Amino acid sequence: MERKRSSRHRQRYRKRKTTCDKIKDFIREFIAFMFSNVGIIGLVVGYTICGAFMFQAIEGTEASDDREEAIKDIHSARSKTRDRLWEITQKFNVLEEEAWREQAASEVLKFQMEVIDAINKGYDGVDDVKDLSETSQWSFSGAFLYSLTVITTIGYGNVAPKTEWGKVATIFYAIIGMPLFLLYLSNIGDILAKSFKWSYAKCCLCRGCGSNRDSRSVSPENSVAVQVPEIIDETDEQYEESHIESTLGDSVKDDTITVPVTLCLAIMVGYVCGGAILFSKWEDWDFLDGSYFCFISLSTIGFGDIVPGDQIYASKGLDMSFIFCSMYLMLGMAIIAMCFNLMQEEVIHKFRSCVKAVKNCCSCSGARDDDVDTAPIE
Amino acid sequence: MTQSGASVPVTRSSVRSRSSGGSSSEVDPREKVKACCRKLVEFMFTQVGVGGLVVCYAIVGAFAFQHIETAKDPKWEVEWHKAQTSPDHNLKGAWVQLAAVKRLTNLTANKLWDVTSSENVFNITTWKKSTDMILHEFQEGIVDSVKKGYDGREPEDAWTLPAALMFCLSIFTMIGYGNMVPKTTWGKVATILYAVFGIPVYILYFMNMGKVFANCFRWIYRTMYECTTKKPSIKVIELENGDTVAHPRVIVPTTACLWVISGYVLGGTIMFAEWEGWDYLDSAYFCVTSLCKIGIGDFVPGANILESRSGNQTKLVINFMYLLLGMGLIAMCYNLMREEVKVKMQDLKRDMRKWLEGLRIQSCYGKKKSKRYH
Repeated sequence: MERKRSSRHRQRYRKRKTTCDKIKDFIREFIAFMFSNVGIIGLVVGYTICGAFMFQAIEGTEASDDREEAIKDIHSARSKTRDRLWEITQKFNVLEEEAWREQAASEVLKFQMEVIDAINKGYDGVDDVKDLSETSQWSFSGAFLYSLTVITTIGYGNVAPKTEWGKVATIFYAIIGMPLFLLYLSNIGDILAKSFKWSYAKCCLCRGCGSNRDSRSVSPENSVAVQVPEIIDETDEQYEESHIESTLGDSVKDDTITVPVTLCLAIMVGYVCGGAILFSKWEDWDFLDGSYFCFISLSTIGFGDIVPGDQIYASKGLDMSFIFCSMYLMLGMAIIAMCFNLMQEEVIHKFRSCVKAVKNCCSCSGARDDDVDTAPIE
Repeated sequence: MTQSGASVPVTRSSVRSRSSGGSSSEVDPREKVKACCRKLVEFMFTQVGVGGLVVCYAIVGAFAFQHIETAKDPKWEVEWHKAQTSPDHNLKGAWVQLAAVKRLTNLTANKLWDVTSSENVFNITTWKKSTDMILHEFQEGIVDSVKKGYDGREPEDAWTLPAALMFCLSIFTMIGYGNMVPKTTWGKVATILYAVFGIPVYILYFMNMGKVFANCFRWIYRTMYECTTKKPSIKVIELENGDTVAHPRVIVPTTACLWVISGYVLGGTIMFAEWEGWDYLDSAYFCVTSLCKIGIGDFVPGANILESRSGNQTKLVINFMYLLLGMGLIAMCYNLMREEVKVKMQDLKRDMRKWLEGLRIQSCYGKKKSKRYH
């Protein structure tokens, strides 16, 4: 009796558990998807926005104090120069033109040095203290771009933290943010690569006289994709796994769709050129400067001599060019990751077929040396 | 799914290499010598060779950029004179802004003279007002020029060999400090091409150095481990490792890597602080942003070196080596950490599988029982 009840209880429990499990599985899958694709984008964007607010809070107030100081310095330098010029005028009078000119020129040079010195210390050409708040480099969009350039390791350097806390925050922000961004790159690069490969297979290979390559190559991919969820349900996991591995192995060995390297290169060049055209229209650069900027940014070198949008740093609100610029950077890096993903695949594929050919050759001739064949893979 | 797919080739290749190493030790002495030679050549090519390649590439690039940026047209003198009076000229690169500033200075001096001669010397208020206006205009012009890249230095002074070397390093390591930038059209094109070829070379170096350093560090760690612990315990540990990882290796813990990196950053911090006269925070900030390849560029160690024209080359070489070695160390840590994470993941997977099997057995048991009772 007792046993029966307990078993019935267990049964009921099991039934509830199966429905529960279904929901749980669904939720888990949903969370996994969120975390892997959409979630990671949101995470990166959220992290950048947090960083923007943080840097704005840290640097905004302090920096404006510094800038007020710089403006005062330059004002005093100017008035001093003027006074000295007056002294010169009184001394030489208008009659001695040569001497006056010589002295005045040296004063102007001295003033020039002072201006350059002030610029190096952070003066940025705003002459009135009232205009400061409107032209702060640490507006929200400026701080956002700064955070983005830190975690993407571009680091333009046109905006740099000047306070101690800003520097410390940059260090820690980079240490946490860079792995996050790498995660984003690998995830999004993977997804882009997969979808690109799929669309490439659909568009380019199907149309092209239906060669046997595509018919064979598309199907294993699909079968793998279908079989993946079954692992959870099937009882004989070991078998299933080995089966999947074998299909995977087959698809890898025989024919995966590999996108040719030239196409990848063309995409990268096209992306850089497209960005160059857009930026050169937007910013009045010539084409070379535009492509130079795009290349330097996307290769994460980031010199920062040419940076889009003085208006980004000037404007308070979100304007289009700011959004466009950050979108361009984030998407571009993912696309480059995708291209590297595809290229790597292609190269490995080529290499493997090459090794196989060599091996076949060797086995035909009878002189077989596995070491020689396989060593170069390392 | 993709993760496992990506890791498949790596593990396969490593297994193969291991097997090849094992089989080469069993063949006859001639083969052994051959293998040894091959290994030596391979080593030269992979480790020392790649390091040499990177250094050579940097040096060649330095000379090339120096040449490109400081090159003068045959008609340079004429153009330079023309540019001092009128804005239409054929100067290129840094000379454009130099000429613009010179023109501005001359113009300002002339304007000042005009004011002084036209206004009466005794009318001090109007004189001061107009002088202030002129100076203000001048100041705005200078700010504009600086924003367009004027830095008061002629190309010959700016592009010294050490500076060009640091510039090349900052290109192909993707640091990009931005304190030195190409200003001519050809310089920009050359930068793009240099990066296109340099970055793969550098990545090759990065991978190789990572492997070499990882092996060295593992060896050191292992010997230290063996020294400090008693022998029987090692055997047990090695057996355990042999079971789990299928090769008797001591896995270096992540914390050790982190200690090494923080030690390296600390050393760099002290070194740069002493040499450049920065405070420690600035120095640490520089080290971290450089080693992370961010390269914000508000602090660059070359600056002081450039100022002292005597050319303290050893400092520069040490800076260069510090950065290259640091990149190698980071690659090493990446290597070691990845290994540890892989091992941990394998453990986790095994545990999960065991747990799942246990669950399944339990459920099957429960099912059978329930069937029996129905």
